[in-house]
Amino acid sequence: MSRLSTLWVWAVFAFMYLPIAMIALFSVNDSKIMSLPFSGFTLKWYAEVMGDGRLGGGFLTTLSVAFPVAICATLLGGLAALAISFYPMRGRGIFAVLLLAPFLIPKLILAVAQLIMFNETGVERSLLTVIAAQTVIVLPFSTLVIASVLIRIDRGLLEAAADLGASGLSAFRRVVLPLMANGLMASWVVAFVLSSAEYVLTAFVSGRAQPLSVLVASDFRFALSPSLNALAVMIVFGNIALVALAELIRRRASKTGA
Amino acid sequence: MSLRVGTLLAAPVTAFLLALCVAPLLILFAYSFFRVDFVAISYDPSFANYAKIAGSATYRGLILKAFGSGALVVAITSVIGYPVAWFLAKRAGAMKSALLTLLLVPLYSGDLVRVFAWRVLLGAEGVINRSLIWAGVTDAPIQGLLFSPLATHIALTYNYLPFMVIGLWLAFESLDDAWLEAAADLGARSPSRFARVTLPLTFPGLVAGGLMVFVMVVGDYLTPQLLGGASGITVISAINDLFGTAFDWPLGSAIAWTMLAILMAFFAVGAMLIRRSSLVGGS
Repeated sequence: MSRLSTLWVWAVFAFMYLPIAMIALFSVNDSKIMSLPFSGFTLKWYAEVMGDGRLGGGFLTTLSVAFPVAICATLLGGLAALAISFYPMRGRGIFAVLLLAPFLIPKLILAVAQLIMFNETGVERSLLTVIAAQTVIVLPFSTLVIASVLIRIDRGLLEAAADLGASGLSAFRRVVLPLMANGLMASWVVAFVLSSAEYVLTAFVSGRAQPLSVLVASDFRFALSPSLNALAVMIVFGNIALVALAELIRRRASKTGA
Repeated sequence: MSLRVGTLLAAPVTAFLLALCVAPLLILFAYSFFRVDFVAISYDPSFANYAKIAGSATYRGLILKAFGSGALVVAITSVIGYPVAWFLAKRAGAMKSALLTLLLVPLYSGDLVRVFAWRVLLGAEGVINRSLIWAGVTDAPIQGLLFSPLATHIALTYNYLPFMVIGLWLAFESLDDAWLEAAADLGARSPSRFARVTLPLTFPGLVAGGLMVFVMVVGDYLTPQLLGGASGITVISAINDLFGTAFDWPLGSAIAWTMLAILMAFFAVGAMLIRRSSLVGGS
C-alpha cells in the first residue's frame, strides 16, 4: 500500500516535470528539429534570443508592468490580509468573497468586461490599464501570501503592547509591521512572477506596447522554433529563482514569527 | 478594539475591487441586454441575446462541452491527486514542505510556456511519437495526438492537478488519525474505513479542489486554442471571437453572463456541500 503510493507520487511528479525537462533538453540541442535523438550540445538558441531586439523590448515592457503591479498588489493585499486576519471588521465574509472573485471568474470574461468599461468610460488602453487589470487578478494571491505570515503572529503581542502604553498605531508600526515585513517581500516576488506570466488579460487591455507574453504567444501560434525553447527555459528558471527567494523569505518569517 | 480599524483597512481594497472587478461585470451585464444595429450599439434593452443563446444548438453545445470538460478533468485530477494528497499529508514527514513546493513550481512557469512544452511533446514528430516508434509500438507517428481533445485534456489535467492536490491536502491535514484507529478498533476493514471514514471526512477538500479545477477548466482559453486544433473552439473562444472579430459585444456579454450565472450556481451548491459535510465531520 505504502510502496504503491510512493511509486504513484513519483510518477505524478515525473509527469509534472516532464514538459519542463523536455524544453530544457531541446533548448541546448543542436538541431532545428525538436525531436529525438539529440544531435549535440549548443548554446546558439540562447544567443539568438539574447540578440533579438524585439524580444528585448517586450522584456522591458514586461518589467515596466510587473514592478508596479507587484507594488500595488502587495500594498492592497497587505491591507486586505490585515483586515481579514488581524483587525476585526464588519462584513468579513462578504469581503472575503469579493477578494476571491477575481480568482474564480474566468480571466477572459473579466478581460472583456474591463475592455467594455474602459471603452465606455473613454479610458485609452495603455500600460496603465494593463497594470490596473493585472493587479486585480494578482491580488488574491498576494493577500494569501501575506495572510499566511500574519496568522502565525501571536495576537497577544498587540495586547501586551497596549498594556505597555502603546497606541494602536505605534503597536502596529513597532510590533506587527516588522513581523509582517517578510510576508510583504514574499508577496512582492510572487506578484511579480504572476504578472510577468499573465497573457489572456494582458492581450485584451494592452495597447500598442506589447509585453513579452503577448509577443511570444503570437510567435508560437504559427511556428515552433528552438529559440522559443531557450526563451521558455530562461523564463521558467528566472521565475523559479524568484519564487524560491520568496519561499525562503516566507520560511524565515515563520521562524521569527512563531 | 472596535470593528472600525479592520473596516477602514478594507475600504481601499473594496473600492479598488468594486471599480475594476464588480463594475466591469455589471456593465457587461447591462450590455447583454443591448443589441448591435449595423455597426453601432443600440441601447434598447431586450432579452433577444439570451433567447438567441437558448435557441442556438451551437451555443448550447459549446456551453455543455465546457461543463463536460470541467467535469471530466475534475474526475481525472481527483483520482490522480487523491493518493498524492494523502501521501503529502500523512507519509511525507520531513519532506512534506519540500514536496509541496516542488508540486507548485511548474505553476510558476506560466500558461504559455506549459502549452508550448506540450506541443513539443505531442507533435507528429514530437518526443512521445518518436519514443513510441523507437519502442516499436507503432510504425508511423500517431497524427491525432496533437490538435485533438486528447491533447487538450492532457494539458488541462497537467495545468490544474496541483490545485486539486492542494484542496485535498488541506482536508487530509485536518483529518485526525484517531478516527481511523477508532474505526479499526471497531472492526472496520480497510475498504470500509476508506468508504465510511476517510472519504466523507476529506469530502470538503474534494469539493473545494473540484470547484477550483472546474472553474479554471471552464474558463481556460489558451490550452484548447493552442492544443485543440479544430476541437479547440470553446464557449470562451466564442466569447473572444464575438468581442474580437465579430464585434457583437452584446451577444458576447450575454454568453459571458450565462457562464457566470451557471458557475455561481455551482459555487453556491459547493459551499453548501462543504458546510454540511464539515458539520458532519465536526460532530
